[in-house]
Amino acid sequence: MRLLNKILISIGTLIIGIQFFRPALNKSNQVTDTDISKIVTTSDTVQALLKNACYDCHSNNTNYPWYSNIQPVSWLMAKHIRQGKEELNFSEFGSYSPRRQLSKLNGIANSIRDDIMPLSSYKLMHKNAALSTYEEELLIKWVQQARDSLSVKN
Amino acid sequence: MKSIFIGLVIAVSTLTASTAKSTQSTVSIKEFVSSYLQMKNAFTQDNSTGAADAGEKMEVAFKNFDKSVLTPVQKKTFEDVEADAKEHAEHIGKNSGNIAHQREHFVLLSKDIYDLVKTFGAGQVLYKDFDPMANNGKGAFWLSETKDIKNPYMGKAMLTSGSIKEEIK
Repeated sequence: MRLLNKILISIGTLIIGIQFFRPALNKSNQVTDTDISKIVTTSDTVQALLKNACYDCHSNNTNYPWYSNIQPVSWLMAKHIRQGKEELNFSEFGSYSPRRQLSKLNGIANSIRDDIMPLSSYKLMHKNAALSTYEEELLIKWVQQARDSLSVKN
Repeated sequence: MKSIFIGLVIAVSTLTASTAKSTQSTVSIKEFVSSYLQMKNAFTQDNSTGAADAGEKMEVAFKNFDKSVLTPVQKKTFEDVEADAKEHAEHIGKNSGNIAHQREHFVLLSKDIYDLVKTFGAGQVLYKDFDPMANNGKGAFWLSETKDIKNPYMGKAMLTSGSIKEEIK
């Protein structure tokens, strides 16, 4: 019984202890000049879809849920966000070379069509991130138009 | 005395001519072409693991490539292609078992390698083949070392679908 108490106390201390270690937040309130909406024509509807379904992990501005204040949740989140931004960062889209911009747009359409993105684990926690067939088509059409406009520019 | 002088002039001029030639031929993209073709051939066999191996090989080739031999203009083209192609090679390398995803990257990688070949020369004859049905009906091309059509996007299901669009010498 004493041993059990000791174990419970140390687990409790550990849980409280890790609450003090928080990763830096992925927050930036200004829209950068390299944001994709500044590079290609993006309607408000598409912009809203991207913000809801993609920007949490693929931009410099995450909309954090309340439970992100609990550890180790935010550590896991920070890892997802880091990896997501590495792959594609909508806030820095304009800094990619023209060739990469076209590649990334292709990747966006493919991931949506193949249902790879948004991640199913993400959709589980963010109900409004799940895209309807209509919304998927809207995004894919937007990607196509964006590709065409960039191809003409270059 | 005069003949020695002439001989010296000839010797010097042939020497400079040969060094000029050798610096020109040091830009070799052989490693990229060979890993690309290895990847292409794996895809024609529906061999996802084989394609992944070739992807890793191409990644290494990019890491080892000596850019110091490039002229500023060549360097610009190369780095533009490199930033994109490296990523495709990496994804193909990491996604063994998911051949559909690997092939999506292969569409774009083919364009990158085509541009490299057009800029630097492949050192061998290549054919640019096109299949209008590949890439979800949007059409896609690939490079091949043989005249026979072997389609890396369709694999065994429709191996001979497509046609030669260009012979690159």
